[in-house]
Amino acid sequence: MEINENTKIVSAKFEIPNSNTLEVAKAHGAYDAIDKAFEMNSEEIIKIVGDANLRGKGGGGGHAGTKWALMPCTEESESVVVINSDESEPGTFKDRQIISKDPHLLIEGIIIACWTVKAHDAYIYIRGEYKPFIDKLQGAIDEAYEAGILGDNACGKGFRVDITAHRGGGAYVCGEKSALLESLEGKRGHPRLKPKGKEPEWYFGRPTLLSNVETFSTVPFLIKHGSEGYHKLGTEKSPGTLLFQISGHVNKPGVYEMPFGMKMIDFINNIAGGMKNGKKLKAVIPGGVSTAVLTAEEAEQVTLDYEAMWDFNTELGTGGMIVMDEDTCMVKALKNILEFYEEESCGQCTPCRDGSGWADLMIGKMLAGEGKMEDFAKIQEVSDSMNGKTICLFGPSISSGLNSYIGKFRDEFEAYIKQGEQK
Amino acid sequence: MSLVTISVDGKHMNVEDGKLLIDALIENQIDLPYFCYHEAIGAEGNCRMCMVEIEGQKRPQIACDTFVKEGMEIRIDSPKVNKVRQDILELELINHPVDCPTCDQAGECSLQDYYMDYGLYDSHIGKSEKNKKGKKVDLGRNVMLDQERCVLCTRCVRFTQKITKTGELGVAHRGDHSYITTVPGRGMESEYSMNVVDLCPVGALTSKDFRFNQRVWFLKPVESICHGCTKGCNIYVDHNKEKYKDDMIFRIRPRINKEINGHFICDYGRLSYKTIHENRYMEKVEKDEIKEKFDSIIAKNKTTKTAVLVDASLYLEEMATILQYAESIGAELLCPSETYLDESFEDDMLRTKYKCSNLQGIKSFDITTEVSDKEYDLVINFNHPDFVNFKAKQSISFQTHNNFEADLKIPVAAHAETSGTLLNIDNVKQYCNKIIEPNDPVLTINEWMEYLR
Repeated sequence: MEINENTKIVSAKFEIPNSNTLEVAKAHGAYDAIDKAFEMNSEEIIKIVGDANLRGKGGGGGHAGTKWALMPCTEESESVVVINSDESEPGTFKDRQIISKDPHLLIEGIIIACWTVKAHDAYIYIRGEYKPFIDKLQGAIDEAYEAGILGDNACGKGFRVDITAHRGGGAYVCGEKSALLESLEGKRGHPRLKPKGKEPEWYFGRPTLLSNVETFSTVPFLIKHGSEGYHKLGTEKSPGTLLFQISGHVNKPGVYEMPFGMKMIDFINNIAGGMKNGKKLKAVIPGGVSTAVLTAEEAEQVTLDYEAMWDFNTELGTGGMIVMDEDTCMVKALKNILEFYEEESCGQCTPCRDGSGWADLMIGKMLAGEGKMEDFAKIQEVSDSMNGKTICLFGPSISSGLNSYIGKFRDEFEAYIKQGEQK
Repeated sequence: MSLVTISVDGKHMNVEDGKLLIDALIENQIDLPYFCYHEAIGAEGNCRMCMVEIEGQKRPQIACDTFVKEGMEIRIDSPKVNKVRQDILELELINHPVDCPTCDQAGECSLQDYYMDYGLYDSHIGKSEKNKKGKKVDLGRNVMLDQERCVLCTRCVRFTQKITKTGELGVAHRGDHSYITTVPGRGMESEYSMNVVDLCPVGALTSKDFRFNQRVWFLKPVESICHGCTKGCNIYVDHNKEKYKDDMIFRIRPRINKEINGHFICDYGRLSYKTIHENRYMEKVEKDEIKEKFDSIIAKNKTTKTAVLVDASLYLEEMATILQYAESIGAELLCPSETYLDESFEDDMLRTKYKCSNLQGIKSFDITTEVSDKEYDLVINFNHPDFVNFKAKQSISFQTHNNFEADLKIPVAAHAETSGTLLNIDNVKQYCNKIIEPNDPVLTINEWMEYLR
């Protein structure tokens, strides 16, 4: 197979009817990588993942190879593989596509990951609200068990792999890896204090390989085509593809798998069909609401890869773009996001617990025309206390949201205050 | 154990390598604000108040999740850290009702203290804008919860999980609308529940027994030992003599003694102070009259079968006096220990099965504890509860409470009204201070015996 910019790594079977069934999936190459993977040992597979520079596709963009290399890869360590499918970031809807349209690709990736780290148990932590998608995933898992792909003798290789789909209780914070594991252990979904050195995650004291659905789904491609095949796509530092999602004021919102490095404006105009009703672009949230918003000018310059986003003080995140046209009120947009954060802050650390609510309250007052110019300084202080002073990245996300909206669209906020003062 | 040198605000100090920074600072008496950390229940890292600046680290770090290393340079009193604390404190307070005038914690509240240390800003939020939660949630077992005052440090939750392992408390909901609660329809069940009141750094958890009784700054704490059982838990007894009123004990709090009780005490011991004030026998008696009657009873019984009953909660000093006297009149010394026995009271934490404070003292004096024959010509009772089961032709009773009838009743001071030494279950000798001084004090056993002998 020739690899070019149109190559689809995870969305290849999306357009095929009934691709979620084992029969159709197998006819289109599912489980092709298993034989090759089982001929390799742990070091070889981890080397491929590392060399491919596979980036975690759940939002962080961390190097998957580093994470895999931390695993002990011995039977005695009783490792566990956990798949983060708690997709709750507003603007993000890619994992559910894989789960509902190509669950066997995910299962294939999980089996390879289990073989690599010598884990026998894999847990898919899936967002509880995704009931229809969970049904499809469970159907696929059941089919895989029946076909002997999973179970005590997975794929006939004499290696046990059991996959359990676990429904989350509906907390956004459980998408954070340590909160997810706490929740999976049956506890309250609170992020854990971070270890001082480099070590894997822990599930009931067992070393755990935890990654996003799309990351695991990319593994079969890496096995089949090697790290060189993956490097043929994307940029040097952000190789491969990502399932980009686009929503908001565009003509063709949806999920499109594209190599990293495409210009954002081209993506909006060429892939997503341009702005709805021919309106002017005003702002783009690049990768889920926890990433800093970009103005139209920035959106015209930036390319869709991790490094380019950092240059604009934002993140690629999950690749879930939200496009806003000239009629959008940025104050209301920020209020909408803050309401989400106020509802979803887990309440563990003080700055985020009370800061999220307070920020929401202050922006709400501005919208109601009760704001004052002095409020900006207070908002800045609240934003500062949430940035880098909490256990997880939830607080800093609110902070980056506040700073980017107010920093880039301050005149709109001031207009509300002035309007209120005139009343 | 190896020592490393760290510098705190330029001052060098030697601490154990790998020790938790917050422990090292507390040990060296360095003031650091914190809510969620507690020596007995560990760090949670949620309050973010213990932030310190560490040389070489971009961001301030929490001391309760930092381990000391050789050459660590720490700043705990710098403009940057103080600003962080002020901001975080303001966040703690935005949804706090600031009802200090009616709060029992006022005066010993961490929030109040830290506000005076680091806060002192003008309020930026209106009272009506604050989140409303439960103000008076009865958790059972003498604990009352005010969810609005709570700073969600979860010390109480971790106490029920890690110490009592009963897990009755938890956090419900998320974010700034989350609150501490129990399972609906169920309250706290542990016999150690009231410790959450001490653990709570603010006025969220209060004792139903102590609520609205006394402002804490009027209370005078006295170091003492609990008389509830033979464990000998170390306590503070808080008392106050209000104008025109009698000196009263208002509460008992645990005092840290890692060898005996650690940081906690049981609820039974905590509420045991009530018996000191209830149903007391404080009759005003003429000393001469008592002596006359006492002497005549003793004179009549010079050769008869006499028993002296000794309560196992008396101090060693009192026991010694009684022992001496009993020998001088040739009486049998008895302390039936079965009276104190309560197998159901014992647990695997602190409580022991004998509900008296000085049983080891009785044993150290070789006083008979197994008593079957309870018929005597004369019984002289020193506050032993089993006195009621004795048959005596004549009886004298030294008693603190109004619970015995005898030919001669002599009021004596209760344990809180005198001082002395106790031997606990592990034979640790502990001294109890005198706590209260009643307006009309009665004599102690030793004072009586000196006079009557």
